[in-house]
Amino acid sequence: MSEREVLDLDVLFVGAGPASLAGAIHLKRLLSKSGTEASVAVLEKASEIGAHSLSGAIVDPRALRELFPDFPDTDLPFEAEVSEEHLYYLTENKKIPFPFVPPSMSHHHCFVTSLGKLTRWLGNKCENEGVDIFCGFAGTKLLYEGEQVVGVRTGDRGIDKNGEKKPQFEPGADIRAKVVILGEGTRGSLTKNLIDRHELMQGCNPQVWAVGVKELWQMPSGTVPPGYVAHTMGFPLGQAIFGGAFLYGMQNDIWDLGLVVGLDYQNPGVDSHHELQRLKNHPWIRSLLSAGKMIAYGAKSLPEGGWYSIPKLSVGGAMLIGDSAGFMNGQRLKGIHLAMKSGMLAAETTAEALATGKFSESDLADYDSRIASSWIRDELWKVRNFHQGFDRGLFGGLANAGIGLFTGGRGWGIKNRLSSEAGHKKMQKGVKKNRYQDLQFDGTYLFDKVTDVYYSATAHEEDQVPHLKIRDQDVCVSKCTEEYGNPCEKFCPANVYEMLPDGDGQRLQINFSNCVHCKTCDIMDPYQIIDWVPPEGGDGPVWVNL
Amino acid sequence: MDILIVLEDNNGKIHRMGLESIAAAQKLANGMSLSMGTLVMGANGNALAEEASKYNVGEVLKINNEHLSSYSSDGYAETVKQVIEQENPTYVIFGHTYQVRDYAPKVSAKLMKPFLVDNVDVSTNEGNAVFTKQMFNAKLFSDVIPTGDGPYLISFQSAAFSSEKVDLGSAAVRNCTVNLDVSMIRTESEEPFQEEAGGIDLTSADIIVSIGRGIGKEENIPLAVELSKALGGELAASRPVVDSGWLPSAHQIGSSGQSVSPKLYLALGISGAIQHVVGMKGSKNIVTINKDPDAPIFEISDYGVVGDILEIIPKLTEAIQALKN
Amino acid sequence: MKIAVLVKQVPGADSPLPIQSNQNWVDEGAVAFIMNESDNYALEEALQIRESMGEGEVVAVSLGPDRIQKVIREALAKGADRAIHIQMDTEGVIDPLVTASHFAHALKEENFDLIFTGLQSDDLGMGQTGIILGEMLGMATASLAMATELGDGKIKVKRELEAGWFQWVSLTLPASVSIQSGLNTPRYPSLKGIMGAKRKELKVVTPNVVDATQSLERVYLPKSEKQTVMIEGSADQIVEKLVETFRNEIKVL
Repeated sequence: MSEREVLDLDVLFVGAGPASLAGAIHLKRLLSKSGTEASVAVLEKASEIGAHSLSGAIVDPRALRELFPDFPDTDLPFEAEVSEEHLYYLTENKKIPFPFVPPSMSHHHCFVTSLGKLTRWLGNKCENEGVDIFCGFAGTKLLYEGEQVVGVRTGDRGIDKNGEKKPQFEPGADIRAKVVILGEGTRGSLTKNLIDRHELMQGCNPQVWAVGVKELWQMPSGTVPPGYVAHTMGFPLGQAIFGGAFLYGMQNDIWDLGLVVGLDYQNPGVDSHHELQRLKNHPWIRSLLSAGKMIAYGAKSLPEGGWYSIPKLSVGGAMLIGDSAGFMNGQRLKGIHLAMKSGMLAAETTAEALATGKFSESDLADYDSRIASSWIRDELWKVRNFHQGFDRGLFGGLANAGIGLFTGGRGWGIKNRLSSEAGHKKMQKGVKKNRYQDLQFDGTYLFDKVTDVYYSATAHEEDQVPHLKIRDQDVCVSKCTEEYGNPCEKFCPANVYEMLPDGDGQRLQINFSNCVHCKTCDIMDPYQIIDWVPPEGGDGPVWVNL
Repeated sequence: MDILIVLEDNNGKIHRMGLESIAAAQKLANGMSLSMGTLVMGANGNALAEEASKYNVGEVLKINNEHLSSYSSDGYAETVKQVIEQENPTYVIFGHTYQVRDYAPKVSAKLMKPFLVDNVDVSTNEGNAVFTKQMFNAKLFSDVIPTGDGPYLISFQSAAFSSEKVDLGSAAVRNCTVNLDVSMIRTESEEPFQEEAGGIDLTSADIIVSIGRGIGKEENIPLAVELSKALGGELAASRPVVDSGWLPSAHQIGSSGQSVSPKLYLALGISGAIQHVVGMKGSKNIVTINKDPDAPIFEISDYGVVGDILEIIPKLTEAIQALKN
Repeated sequence: MKIAVLVKQVPGADSPLPIQSNQNWVDEGAVAFIMNESDNYALEEALQIRESMGEGEVVAVSLGPDRIQKVIREALAKGADRAIHIQMDTEGVIDPLVTASHFAHALKEENFDLIFTGLQSDDLGMGQTGIILGEMLGMATASLAMATELGDGKIKVKRELEAGWFQWVSLTLPASVSIQSGLNTPRYPSLKGIMGAKRKELKVVTPNVVDATQSLERVYLPKSEKQTVMIEGSADQIVEKLVETFRNEIKVL
């Protein structure tokens, strides 16, 4: 099969995450109500739905209840309603409860959820509505006619590591669609191209990200209360690094432990995986986990910039939804409900566009308006300066957030909009303190990166060109080593990047097969020379319930 | 006889895995006080019978039938089925060879009796035999038992038992006959031939010499090649060696390579990352040489040497070559 | 030319395999499933035969609970013409006589010319279903095919033997052949194939009860009770002790 397949559809969602799946379900229902025939499909790079989905997560059921108003909560794919919630400040050995949980950080009436389980459930519902979900296909290029997006090309399959065609080579397919909705998740690759080409970030704050790393722990029977929620600040990150930990009780006696690390730290040696292992050294965590067994590991970046980092959301023929657009409430640590709602709003714009047959930029700008008048905006507006406050460290950030509660979200109580800088620019040159001097991996409770990667079940077709494109590897072995000490070895939670001795000098080895598709490298590399593009369709992690 | 051992011909000698199945049968016989017998057939039946008679196997049944002079799955399956019906053993023991995999399931189907395959051990518990089998590419073990009445067909994995640890004895040879009709043989085989292995099948190697990052550089690889040749084994590698381009990926062992369980796995300069270990921890004997005493691979090794592989490998090769000459 | 291809859904090579607390089986809720690797090659071989003959029908057949519909649809997306799903719970079902009986019951009226199976499944590794099924349906059988050549009323199969040896065997049709991985290059499903899979016939059948003749008592992690014997001394002394170990303990010299 060596001819490029061409498929004509009406609507294509890229990425089978909660945003696209909710959007596709909503769209199909709208179309069937109006009696319009239209083909709707979802493209997913993972081999199956949910395999690349990772989050904490605590889900605000608002969007799900809108989409499935007749379903009782017991029919929705949650682990458990939040039964108890705690907020702690951790020191190396102590755990100090916050005197109260600020209402905006309360997770009352929300649900501990596995995003993988949720997406699989949504995927099922989606297919029942007649949507085609193409798993194992990565969208690698936007198709244009002039400045109008007219479709997506999927990646070639069967190219060997020298770039030559293998016997099973198949060129990518051209999927032509009237509307392309990008729900690729955090730091989407087509999204990145769309934003650049159409300058969609003009006038916005640069997006800022964090990376979340987590482990699932299987505990003895009856020892984990489903619905238990704890969030922490302080140890191990300290004052100068944004972030904190979460511990959620899942079904089947599984503890879900994770750490969110802002990707705007100054010390180039910061390693989110190592920080997670340090966290486990805390006596409280150790007392909870040590009788169990680690069963899964994963990592994913998340957009933290907030309302002012959200780009213009539509161009001719295309829209941005979910994490690709940056709909995440950093203060509540929730984005799934916003993602779903954004997908549903994009569906509404699409249904109207299909009715009129017009898909230009001004037609699809209807989506931007819908967002601006929706509860997404109401919610994000209140926390629009949340992340920016942490430029002044942990306590500054908390103070800013606290003041914001009373001033409708104004920065420091007075400024409507705090500016911010892209996270990678905050990285400082020079050797900084080694935070992991005393960290020892024992292989049974604290794991080195390579071992944790094994538990992400990530696999890639070995014989292909690495999907991590570095525009100038000379920088890696010279300038970057001097200036930053090769932070890629540290910020990648999957041991993809390794500097190895090579004669008198060194070389960069890219273990692309370990990649968990978190996008941290694309975000955090100080020279911005790393371009993450999708590997061959079907490759990547195989997360079951992350 | 309670236990019937089916031996395989290896050019006029008993196939090593046949000897291993005698060892397995002897364990079972001792554990449950059972009597044994063994079956030989095919063109070299006489030679095989002569050799088998020197072991403690009860008695040797020999079948000379013109339709068995070359192997066919129909012929062998029908023969074994008829012998089972004549002799009424409870257990029928095979080595898990390519040939057995080809015809023994047919015996199972003809008799509607179970074939418990590729076992790595058998244990006896209050008069019951429990068979241990690997599952999920040797990641997990399982205990399997036959249910209902016998006979039960059982095969053992290569090197699960040792062909060296077979009790000698003296067994009388008895001629047996079976009824075979040429019309029941639905296959025609040509002569076997050897081929340059396109892919390297490490899974059938009994000895594997495996190198890791500790080998240092590409220039040192020939040392390992020499050693593997001296030992008569196959060369394999962990991931980093393949990633550096020093060996083709066909040599890779581990979660993204092959899974092996040879008689001897000699790990040279391999640290024992879990991705590698899952591909070889089922090996019957793991010998590790690594200069890092804390390398995790020592935990799963039977024998360990903390030392410099670059110093030890050439000396080891020389010593083995001297022994063989 | 009617070819049935038996496909099985098994845990992926990198999937977690948490064991249930009663040790009866793995916790399937935590497992990532895929099509058994050698079955994928068997399917490709069947599709290539149909293509080279310019006629014929490839029927994908699978046995298991609802979740296996995924591999059935994958087979249809890759080009199988229709499919049969023998629906039953498979936990604890390890006896190839049982599964082959179910397949025989579902397939016998159809009179297939060829049945292809993968050489063994990557979960249980029994490696017998195809041969037993062939025997039950009165077909000639061969295992571990590394190549196939269809002739007049016959199929020639290149059997893999030990240690790099091979043997061509000719079988009269109908025949059941188990296929070794690597004999061809499996195709990717196309988008149109995936869309079209939904419209192809998928017959669901419920099997009769068949008593098992072997049973799985428990699954467990291999115990590492290894007491590592450390060999010490100078390099020469170490080499001497290693040779002795290889010779007398491990017995490879």
